Amino acid sequence: MTGPAAFLLVLLSAAAAADERRPVAAPNATDVVGAPNGPPLSGDALDATTKEVASLLRCPVCQGSSVWDSPATMAVNMKHKVRELLADGYDQGQILRYFENSYGEFVLLAPSKKGIGLLVWVLPVVLLIAGGFIVWRVVCQAPAVAGESRILDVEIAPTELPGREMLPADPALAKYVLAVRDLAYGRPQANSPTAARASEVH
Amino acid sequence: MNRRVLLIGVLVTVPLIGVLAMSFGRDPHEIRTPMIGRTAPSFTLRDVATNKEVSLESFRGRPVVVNFWATWCAPCLEEHATLVSTARSLGSAVQFIGVVYEDTPDETREFLARNGHSYPSLLDEDGQTAIAYGVYGVPETFFVNSAGSVAAKYTGPLTFDLITQNIQMASK
Repeated sequence: MTGPAAFLLVLLSAAAAADERRPVAAPNATDVVGAPNGPPLSGDALDATTKEVASLLRCPVCQGSSVWDSPATMAVNMKHKVRELLADGYDQGQILRYFENSYGEFVLLAPSKKGIGLLVWVLPVVLLIAGGFIVWRVVCQAPAVAGESRILDVEIAPTELPGREMLPADPALAKYVLAVRDLAYGRPQANSPTAARASEVH
Repeated sequence: MNRRVLLIGVLVTVPLIGVLAMSFGRDPHEIRTPMIGRTAPSFTLRDVATNKEVSLESFRGRPVVVNFWATWCAPCLEEHATLVSTARSLGSAVQFIGVVYEDTPDETREFLARNGHSYPSLLDEDGQTAIAYGVYGVPETFFVNSAGSVAAKYTGPLTFDLITQNIQMASK
């Protein structure tokens, strides 16, 4: 076989291989979202908008990554689809609707602001307001609580207080007091060093 | 005050339990699809074995089983023999189509030569058909009724019983 003939054969077989891989007619976006709303994009605008739109889509086979961020083959294919749709003139809303049509709302990284998705947007604000209200109530009630505590602030003569060496009348409580003393001072019958020093002085 | 705390606790926990209870009866492995009841996305792809064009539209008028699969997928190998034999036994009453996902023509041809085939396997080179059907992974199978609408979807390897049950749903 001559050189040019061999070259032609290689070219033909490469073309045939490319041909068998090419989809003859992939599903049409127009069937789902209608005719393109915007102008066909190209160049830098196409690159920037592809990134913008692909960042709004969740990669279906990843853990919370966007289509733009994921290296998974499925995400790469979706990125190509976004680019192709933008180049055909579909706008962001149409492209999001196209993917939502086949994958459901799950594919949108930001849930829609209608139906149950609205809860995601509204609930944090409602909880923030409710939390603020509770804090405000607690703060406003604080002087009243302070007033109550003033009743307890009434000076009590030292002689009216039980001595540190005394034990509660309830044997169960007394047992715990002894245990605490044992832990704190090393002996169940011991008093605090301050109290001991005070009793020595007197 | 305690009664108020109790009331607030009840008001917070009851709706939370209600939301969780909504999912108690659901299989966590089941992937919901919005495609059920909608017109199956049309496609024309090449048969890996014959290189001929095959279109979903051409089978309108009878139920179609659209099985997304790949040679590298172990559960696909598991269901392959069942799909091939069921397609053979049902004959022309039901059309089976394999859509090859993230794979090469050579690998696919080798797989089919080794494991047999009885229906066309079409190469979805850029995954555009898989995206249009909302495919997450393989194997996933869509059962399209004679009017061209998606009647059912099954994720995971199919058995003979599962295939016939879903075909019955698509035949209603």
